[in-house]
Amino acid sequence: MEPVIMLPQIAADEFLRIFVVATLVLVFGVGYAALITLSKMGLIPKRVAPFGYIFWILQAYCLYDLSVLIHSSPFTAKVLMVAMLAYFFAPHLYFYLIEQSEKRYGEAEES
Amino acid sequence: MSEKKVSVWTSITFWRRSAAWVTGTAVVLLMWLTFNTIGQISMGTDEDLQNGVKKRIPAPTVINYKIDYAYDEKRGHEVPVIGEKELFFGKEWSADEAAELLRHGKLTQQAKNCMNCHTLLGNGAYYAPDLTKAWLDPKWNDGTMTGITGKDTVEEAMAEFLMHPSQFPTHARMMPNLGITKEEAIALVAFLKHMSAIDTNGFPRNFSQSAKRLEGGTHAW
Amino acid sequence: MLGSIKSNKFQYESQKLAMNYFRVAIVLFGAQLLMGLIAATQFLYPSFLFEVYDFSVARMVHINALVVWMLYAMIGSVYLLLPDETGIEAVGIKLGKLAFWVLTAAVTVVVLVYIFIQVGPGSEATIWLINEGREYIEAPRWADIGIVVVVLIFYYNVFATYMKGEKTGIMTVLVADLFALAGLYLCGMFFTSNISMDQYWWWWVIHLWVEATWEVFVGSLAAYGLIKILGAKREIVEMWLWIEVLMLFGSGILGLGHHYFWIGTPEYWWEIGALFSALEPVPLVAMFVHVLYDWGKEQGHAEAGQAGHAVKNSPAMAWIAINAFGNFLGAGIWGFFHTLPQVNIYTHGTQFTAAHGHLAFFGAYATILIGMMYLGVQRAYAIERMRMTFKTKMAIALLITGILGMTVSLTIAGYEQVLVERADLGGGWDAYFIAQNLPWMLQAMGWRLVMGLVMFTGFIFLVADLFTIGKAKEHAEQESVGAAAA
Ligand code: HEM
Ligand code: HEM
Ligand SMILES: [Fe+2]
Repeated sequence: MEPVIMLPQIAADEFLRIFVVATLVLVFGVGYAALITLSKMGLIPKRVAPFGYIFWILQAYCLYDLSVLIHSSPFTAKVLMVAMLAYFFAPHLYFYLIEQSEKRYGEAEES
Repeated sequence: MSEKKVSVWTSITFWRRSAAWVTGTAVVLLMWLTFNTIGQISMGTDEDLQNGVKKRIPAPTVINYKIDYAYDEKRGHEVPVIGEKELFFGKEWSADEAAELLRHGKLTQQAKNCMNCHTLLGNGAYYAPDLTKAWLDPKWNDGTMTGITGKDTVEEAMAEFLMHPSQFPTHARMMPNLGITKEEAIALVAFLKHMSAIDTNGFPRNFSQSAKRLEGGTHAW
Repeated sequence: MLGSIKSNKFQYESQKLAMNYFRVAIVLFGAQLLMGLIAATQFLYPSFLFEVYDFSVARMVHINALVVWMLYAMIGSVYLLLPDETGIEAVGIKLGKLAFWVLTAAVTVVVLVYIFIQVGPGSEATIWLINEGREYIEAPRWADIGIVVVVLIFYYNVFATYMKGEKTGIMTVLVADLFALAGLYLCGMFFTSNISMDQYWWWWVIHLWVEATWEVFVGSLAAYGLIKILGAKREIVEMWLWIEVLMLFGSGILGLGHHYFWIGTPEYWWEIGALFSALEPVPLVAMFVHVLYDWGKEQGHAEAGQAGHAVKNSPAMAWIAINAFGNFLGAGIWGFFHTLPQVNIYTHGTQFTAAHGHLAFFGAYATILIGMMYLGVQRAYAIERMRMTFKTKMAIALLITGILGMTVSLTIAGYEQVLVERADLGGGWDAYFIAQNLPWMLQAMGWRLVMGLVMFTGFIFLVADLFTIGKAKEHAEQESVGAAAA
């Protein structure tokens, strides 16, 4: 059987990119969640919300890039992409929950 | 309230139960993995060593053997290699003696608070070098430290250094005198030698290359 | 805060006891910072206090004071919210007070022994009496047992009060969480010659504390804070709390695997650790969005002039919001950075870990616990609406500048270490010192010290503020209203 090398060597000059890309994954991830959140809160106009999806696309790209940079196996790469798809729905699910729960439990305390 | 059509997704009970189930499942999985891991990280026996049975954590008597750290094609990283017999402080240690020595060494390691300057298996403090493979470090094996301490063997040089570290400085940042006695020093060296034989899945990486790479100096700057 | 002994307007003894815990916590916080400064100085000037008060001693007291002040502030927070949530006085308050003094006496003795005796001979006696030599939980065994007894008393108080009083969702989470938190401590209380076995269980205490039980604890505090400060609707907050518990425990418990890559444990932890710990930032994002959404919504109501929607304690709210962000940044981003085994094999045990450790502990825990102290002071003076003073703002600005500056310095240092010591030279004694002595490292260490001093200045503002804010004129005119409302 071919030996499976789980952790191939990473060349010294690849580290900076890995660090930057790993950060970008999270920064774009927050950007996506933040734009959707802010528009739902009415703090920014509704029409800005679609730009959130651009962040999502950038995030997906960065995560893909990261999985390549660290030489992850094709299986891991697929798992990561499925996770990205799940993340796409997360904020929508989240605000569905907020709306439903406010309907059910009423607005904040009226005192 | 009752007339309103409510979704299960906003039901507190639903989320409470889900949280309990998820947590419970994670705990059960962790328990199961723990049983498996504990089995694999229990120390091997002296017989294992004699029969060449590989254990992730070998018996204390591994101090009677030569230890190396070499690249393993199959696993794709470096692993400890246990070789021929060699004397340790001029003798071969019985299973009981070695176990007692290791225990004393580990106790001393804790009592002297090594982990608050050094890392062991990569965990601890970052003020001083990692000790995971200290026994195999080029510094001890290329004649530098044996020369400085005026000893013939690695173990004697290490013990001498540990007893009077600030008498043998290599850098401005020195190890302080911790009042380590001769017996404690021998035990500590045994602890370090044993640790270097632990299978750490290839950490520290490229350590077996470091002597060669050091000759070239660093390329980073 | 000390002043609050006199002008004490608490209805409940439990809440007075909470203030005692907060007082000790803040003293230990100060001690922690001083020890950090000593250790940071030694990085630059190794002869500073050499063989008098070595790095190992300063660092041990630094991280022990950290863990202990946080536990104190956590216990204090529970005593503060206990009567609010259950509607009754803590049932065993006398015992609770006794436990406080016993614990404080024990902590004092332990610290004095650390400072003056430092190390002992390599024997069981040292581990029982002086220190156990295991990072974060160095407390000698006698103190471990004392801590367990005191924690049992505390837990009895919480549990019995919960059973007797009202059972809110927040209290249910806390009662379950504290049980796990206390139980985990037992995993750190035995000796073994097998260093791998030692570290396996050691991580149960450290990781399962900070990435599971403490996080859930913080979730509960934030939930309580949102209800108290913003008047958020309890059902909604509690629903989210359960979702957070689900996500935090679901990822954090098996995320433990990210510490089992290289300590002698089997390879399967690579996949388990990577998968679950990569999920750990998800609940942190959710917590962040949740807190901000609620804050923004209530602020909207307040601006619209609706009654009852003003922020009731703006310093506490500010610290809770900083917590939401800091938790995500320090634990989420800096954690994710090095949590995949492919990266961790290079970063493991470098200054990079220290960068993450600082930002995570500060962002996730110090922040919200400071917020709870402000809530305590508000209650002590029965202030209806507590506002920020100049000192509050200075403390926030300086502490945050300091911690971020320190984190950035340490990240640069860690990056250099990864490149030079690990990737290029392959580790070992000489590789280590070559990396330590390069200008990048030295400058980073210099900036870390400077930023530490900035933090310390911020801390002084914080203490001064906690002492005086209760009497500050910003909210003084409302005091009578508050007293009536209470
Ligand atoms: C005045 C500010 C501070 C200074 C100068 C400082 C300095 C230090 C130093 C020198 C170390 C030893 C690092 C090593 O082993 O190389 C350390 C460790 C540590 N400090 Fe601080 N510190 C400060 C504030 C804090 C704060 C506010 C926190 C948390 C709230 C904190 C948490 C920690 C932790 C968790 C460690 C252990 C890190 C690890 O092992 O990875 N420190 N600190
Ligand atoms: C508030 C939550 C957290 C706190 C307070 C915290 C704190 C710490 C500290 C102090 C250490 C160093 C331990 C030592 O001294 O050896 C550490 C290590 C580590 N943390 Fe966290 N952490 C948190 C959350 C996270 C999260 C969410 C992740 C992953 C996404 C993470 C990933 C790691 C990893 C991989 C290490 C090992 C570093 C190494 O190999 O040297 N942490 N953490
Ligand atoms: Fe962890």
